[in-house]
Amino acid sequence: METIVNDFTINIATANGTGSQSANTVLLKTMFDMGVPVSGKNLFPSNISGLPTWYIIRVSDAGYQAPGDRTHIMIMMNADTWQKDIDSCESETVIIYNSDVKLPVERDDCVVLGIPMTKMARKINPKLARMIANMYYVGALVHLLDVDIVSVQSLLERQFKGKTSAIELNMRAIEEGRAYAEENFGNPQPYRIEEREKIEGQFLIDGNEATALGSIYGGVNLLSWYPITPSSSLAEGIIQWLPELRNTEDGKSTCAVIQAEDELAAVGMVVGAGWGGARGMTCTSGPGISLMSEFIGLAYFAEIPCVIWDVNRVGPSTGLPTRTQQGDLNLLREASHGDTDHIILIPGNVEECFEFAWRAFEYSERYQTLVFGFSDLDLGMNSWICNGFEYPSEPIERGKVIRTQEQLDAVENYGRYRDVDGDGVPYRTLPGSGLAPILTRGTGHDEDGVYSEEPEVYRQLMKRLKRKINNARSELPVPILREEEELEIGIIYYGSMETTIQEIDDIIEDTGVKVSQCRVRALPLHPEVEAFVERHERVIVLEINRDGQMYGVLRKELPIHLVPKIMSVAYSDGLPPRAKFFAERIMRTLEELSV
Amino acid sequence: MSIKLNVINLEKSEYTGGKSSLCPGCGHDQISKVIIQAAWENGIPPEGIVKMSGIGCSSKTPAYFLGKSHGFNTVHGRMPSVTTGAAMANKNLLYIGVSGDGDTASIGIGQFIHAIRRNLNMVYIIENNGVYGLTKGQYSATMERGSTKRKGQPNDQPPIDLCKMAINLGCGFVARSFSGSKKQLTALIKAGMSHNGMAIIDVISPCVTFANNDESYRSYGYVKDNEEPLHVADYIPHFSPIAEVDIPEGEYKDIELFDGSTLRLETISDHHDTSDVVAALSAIHYAEQQGKHVTGLLYFEADIPTADEVQGLVDIPLSSLPAELMRPSRAKHDELIRKLIG
Repeated sequence: METIVNDFTINIATANGTGSQSANTVLLKTMFDMGVPVSGKNLFPSNISGLPTWYIIRVSDAGYQAPGDRTHIMIMMNADTWQKDIDSCESETVIIYNSDVKLPVERDDCVVLGIPMTKMARKINPKLARMIANMYYVGALVHLLDVDIVSVQSLLERQFKGKTSAIELNMRAIEEGRAYAEENFGNPQPYRIEEREKIEGQFLIDGNEATALGSIYGGVNLLSWYPITPSSSLAEGIIQWLPELRNTEDGKSTCAVIQAEDELAAVGMVVGAGWGGARGMTCTSGPGISLMSEFIGLAYFAEIPCVIWDVNRVGPSTGLPTRTQQGDLNLLREASHGDTDHIILIPGNVEECFEFAWRAFEYSERYQTLVFGFSDLDLGMNSWICNGFEYPSEPIERGKVIRTQEQLDAVENYGRYRDVDGDGVPYRTLPGSGLAPILTRGTGHDEDGVYSEEPEVYRQLMKRLKRKINNARSELPVPILREEEELEIGIIYYGSMETTIQEIDDIIEDTGVKVSQCRVRALPLHPEVEAFVERHERVIVLEINRDGQMYGVLRKELPIHLVPKIMSVAYSDGLPPRAKFFAERIMRTLEELSV
Repeated sequence: MSIKLNVINLEKSEYTGGKSSLCPGCGHDQISKVIIQAAWENGIPPEGIVKMSGIGCSSKTPAYFLGKSHGFNTVHGRMPSVTTGAAMANKNLLYIGVSGDGDTASIGIGQFIHAIRRNLNMVYIIENNGVYGLTKGQYSATMERGSTKRKGQPNDQPPIDLCKMAINLGCGFVARSFSGSKKQLTALIKAGMSHNGMAIIDVISPCVTFANNDESYRSYGYVKDNEEPLHVADYIPHFSPIAEVDIPEGEYKDIELFDGSTLRLETISDHHDTSDVVAALSAIHYAEQQGKHVTGLLYFEADIPTADEVQGLVDIPLSSLPAELMRPSRAKHDELIRKLIG
C-alpha cells in the first residue's frame, strides 16, 4: 500500500453540543504545530444541542484550504446521521466509528475500524464520558496518521492552561484510543501526517476575530450590535480584546459597547456616533442589513461616516442561518430606497479581514459615507492559517472635520454640503463645537443644509454624491491579479472564494487551459478590473450565490463592448465551495460557449 | 432700554431658531418657545446643547428653536438610538429629543422603551396630540378611546399612556404637562435639563387642525377644562440662591436636582409623593377614569446610573480622542502577535 502524506480530508460527524469541538481543535492545532498546512471547517446546525455537526479538516501540502471533493477518513459518532454518513463515503474511505452506538457499518469496500469509545470513556470518568469519548478518535488518528504524541501533549497543556486534571483526563483518553488502535488494527490504511518546517509567525484565527482586532486598530469608539449568526463572534471578539488593547492606563474605556434591542437601533447608534464625530460600527448578517436599510440611506444622503460588517449567511429570509453564501452583494451595493451607492470592502483572507477592518473607518471618514465590510460565515467562523497582522501602515486620518474657528475660517464659502474642494467631499462640523451648526436631516437639503425641494438643488446634490463615491474607485483596495501570459481565460472572483481558487485553477490548468485570476476586493469596481476583462479572451465571474450578483454588477458597470466577454458561474447550496465541483462548472460553461 | 442677558451674558435671540412652518396656533410652537426660554434662563451655552428628533410635525420643530445648536432630524421612531450613539460620542452635552405620539408610541415604541431602560442621559419631550398631523389626522396610539377628531369616527382603540409606561420601566424623571400651561411646562423642562439621566416629559399639545373640536379629549378647550395639576412647580436655578425665593405659605416639597438646582412643588389639595411609584400610577389611573389629564412631576428618582456612566468611558469625549487612544501602540501590537502565536 502506497502511503499518502499530508494530502487528505477528514470528516468528523458528531452531534452538536457533545464537546467534539475541543477534540477537533486539538487535532487541527496539533497538525498545525507540526508545520502541516491545515484548515478546519465547522458545518454546524442552527441549534445548541443535538442536531448533526460535521467538522472537516483538510490536510494539504499544496496549501489547498477548501473542504476537498471527497472524504478520505470518516469519523462517525452520531447515530442520527449514521447511514447517511456511511452512504456518503466513496470506496476505500477509512471509517472510524464509535462501536458503542450499536449500529451496523456494512462497507466491505472501505477500511472499517470500530472503537468502543463511550465504554472506555465511562471507565475513566462516567460523568464526562460523552465529552471524553471524542478524544478516543483523536487517539486513534494519532496512531493511524503517525501524529507526534508529544505535540498533542504540548497542545493540550496550552489549550487547558494550568487545568491539570483536564489535561490528564484528555491525554489519558487520547493515549487509550491510540493504544487501542495500535493493538487492534495495526495500520491498514495509507494516510500519514509528516512534520514540515513550521513557518515562523503563523497562527490560526477565524475571520471574525481578525475583523474584530482590525476594528480595534481602526479606532472604533462605539460598537452597537444585535446578536445574529454568523456575526456575533465578531462583536464578541471586539468586546474580548478592547480592555487589553484600548483601555487607558487607569482602566477607562475608549469604546462604548451596546447590545442593542434590534438591528434598527444598532445601526441608529452607529449613525448617531458617526454624526457626533466618533467611529461607530456594527456587525450583522443579511437579515440585519434588511432591517438597517432605512438608516443606511440616511447615512448615505446625510453623509455620515459609519461602518457595517455583513458576515453573509444563506438567504433569503431566515434562510440557512449556519451556512455560507455570498448572497448579500446586491443588497449592500444599493441598499436603501432611492438612488444609493455604497463602498464595500471585500476581504479574501484573515489578514485582509484585519486590514480592511481598520481601513473601513478611514474610508468612511474620508468620504463621509457608510462603508460596508463583506465577509461570510466560511471566512468569518472557520479557522485559517494567518501569516500575521501588519501594523497599520498609515496613521489615523479623520477626514474633513472642522474643529476650530480658524479651520472654519480657512474654508472659503463653507457650507455643510458645499463641494469647496471640487472632490465631492464637503467639510463637516461636530456637535459641541458651536461651529456653523445645522439641523442635519434625511430630507432634501441645499449646500448649507437647509431644507429644500428645489429640483436643481436635489439634482446637483445627487450628482455630487455619485461623483464622491466614483472618486473612491481608484483609492479602494486594488484587485489582486495572478495572470498567465496567454491571457486566455480570466476568472473574476471575490471574498472567501480565495480559499479555493488556486485549487480550481490547478484543476482547470491540468486540462491544458491557462487561467488568470482577478480577485475583486472592493466595490465600486477598481479601474483595474475593467482592464483585466479587456485583456482576456473570456472571463468567468465565479461566486457563491444563485444569480451571479457580481456578474450583475459587472454587466452594469463595464463598457458595453466588454459585456459579451463575461460569463457567470454562480452556485450556492450552503456549503463552502468545493474546488472540483466549481472547476467542472467553469469548464462546462466554457465548452457550451465554444460549441 | 437695556437688553436682557442670561447668566452667561447671552441674549435670548441666541437661543431662537427658524420660522415655524406648522399650522398657526399649533401647540408645538408653544413648546418650542418654552424650550428656548428654559435653555436661555438656565444659562446653558447653545453649543452645549444637541437637539434630536424623529419624523412628524413635532420632529420638525428643532428647526424652530436653538439655531446655534447642532441638531439631527433622523428617521421615524428612531430618535432614541441616534441620540444614544451621539451621546456616546460626546457625553458632555445636553441632549434634547423632541418626538411625537406617532413617533414614540407607535413606530418608535421599542426604542423609547430601551432608551429608558438604559437611562440615556437626555430630555425626551413628547409633543402629544393623539393624531398624525403630517398625513392628515389619523389617530395615533395615545388617543383616548371615544375621542373624536374633526371630520371622523370616534377612536375605537384604547390609548397607550407613555408616562405609565416610563414609570413602569424605571425612568427616574417622569412628568406630564400641557402646552397651554406655560409656567408649569417651563419649570418641568428646566428641571429635566438639570436632571442626570432620562427625563420623560409628555406634553399634551393640541392639534389645531385635525383634533381641536370639542369632542376631542386633546383639544385645547378640553384639556384646559380638565387639566388636574398635582402641584404648582417652581424651578430655582443653582446660580440663584434659594434664600432669595419666597417660601410658599402652604405645604411644599423641594426636589434636589443633579446640577444643584431645585424643583419646588407646592401642594394644591392632596400631597403627591413623587418618590412613590404606586402613587404616580394611581394619579394617572384615577385621572384617566374621570376623563381628566393629570399634570406635573409624576415620579422622580435621582442617582440611577446613566447609559454613559455604566460604560466607564474616558473623561474627554470619544469624538476628540487623541490618536494614541484610538489605536494600540506598536509595542502592544507585538505583544498581541506573540499571544496569538501562542
